[in-house]
Amino acid sequence: MLKPQCVSRCRAIQPRLRRGLTWLNCQPGPSIAYLQTYKPDDPAVASTPDLSAKQKKILDSALRVDQAGELAANYIYMGQMAVLGRDPLTGPLIQEMWDQEKKHLAVMNKLQVQHRARPTIVWDVARIAGFGLGAVTALMSREAAMACTEAVETVIGEHYDDQLREMEDLPTSHPSVPLLRNVVREFRDDELEHLDIAVENYAQRAPAHALLSTVVGAGCKIAIELCKRV
Amino acid sequence: MSRNVLLQLALPLVETHGFTRQVLARSVLSLPTHEEPLSETAVSALFGNGSDARRTLINAWLDDARRQMKSAPSPALKDVLAFRLRFNEPVLSHLPEAFALLASPSTAFPPLDPMPALKHAAKVADEACYISGDTTVGNAWYARRASLAAIYAAAELHQLTSPHTAYTFLDGLLDTSSKVESSLGEADLFASYIGRSWAGIIKSRGIF
Repeated sequence: MLKPQCVSRCRAIQPRLRRGLTWLNCQPGPSIAYLQTYKPDDPAVASTPDLSAKQKKILDSALRVDQAGELAANYIYMGQMAVLGRDPLTGPLIQEMWDQEKKHLAVMNKLQVQHRARPTIVWDVARIAGFGLGAVTALMSREAAMACTEAVETVIGEHYDDQLREMEDLPTSHPSVPLLRNVVREFRDDELEHLDIAVENYAQRAPAHALLSTVVGAGCKIAIELCKRV
Repeated sequence: MSRNVLLQLALPLVETHGFTRQVLARSVLSLPTHEEPLSETAVSALFGNGSDARRTLINAWLDDARRQMKSAPSPALKDVLAFRLRFNEPVLSHLPEAFALLASPSTAFPPLDPMPALKHAAKVADEACYISGDTTVGNAWYARRASLAAIYAAAELHQLTSPHTAYTFLDGLLDTSSKVESSLGEADLFASYIGRSWAGIIKSRGIF
């Protein structure tokens, strides 16, 4: 379940989406601490908190599944671009969302190193499956590609929301924990914006939309559970 | 008195007494309040029955040795791993027996348990990667740790039989592995050039 204020926030930004996408990257979120303003000496981005074995396990699996998710998302957009990249309307739209996923993956890679989390063992599976999903839905139609984005981002948004709740157990005394939570919150909002972009671009006009989003959503949920464990 | 404190006090005694229950019993003697070593029952209650207590001690020693790795003279991989090997030196005569004990399981099956040894090498490799500021992700993360674990395990086995040549052996292995890594990278680059030129030829032929 998504928090109501988050959904209403996303509804509020919808009119802006119609006007254009260029504002997407304008406002730097908390993740900027890992990118442009990255300071290797700052304990918030360079050290990991002292955790109990149970908390460490939660953090480990959270970072592993997030990294795998962002990796797969990158490859989904790459697959869509490979098919729809030359489309003058859809190409720039997908490129814009892909650029944001690239940023997410860069941050997740840094978080993995910082918190000494193990990356998923199905790294290549995530890449290939992501690319395949993106390319296949894009081959079906432009609307099907958007429906795929809609289904994926719905599941990812919910997953990030659940994760924020799990992270409430982590001690906030270490500066990296509040930053991590803010980063996850920022990413969740980004993913929900992608969801809105997909809906704005007629995702729900895709043929067999309900079937498609059920299949893709279920696949994402299975992948999330798998990456949490391995 | 906390169990971990006693384990910490027991570690310096390993050098003279080996990884024995006796070391655990005598750990309390370092405290000013105790004059008698712990009874066998107390050792069993605190650290485990029979040789399980020795396993606890060995694991505590391995954990401590791994924690010390961060005080290596430089964060280079070579120095970190060599520093870890140097930490073995005082207890070298007791190590073969310790590793043998870790490999022999407390239950009858399986007859030989390789997991503790593999875990030990993997943990050392992970720590060395962390200290050297390794930033690999994905498959490279696994490849790097697996190769370093294999190198460290080989060097440590070498050290058990020939302590003085272990360091040059370690350096040699690390050099070989970085050579293999760079030639694999070059082969990969070359293959991608060939692939791209073929793609270009096929495109210009107008087949698709």
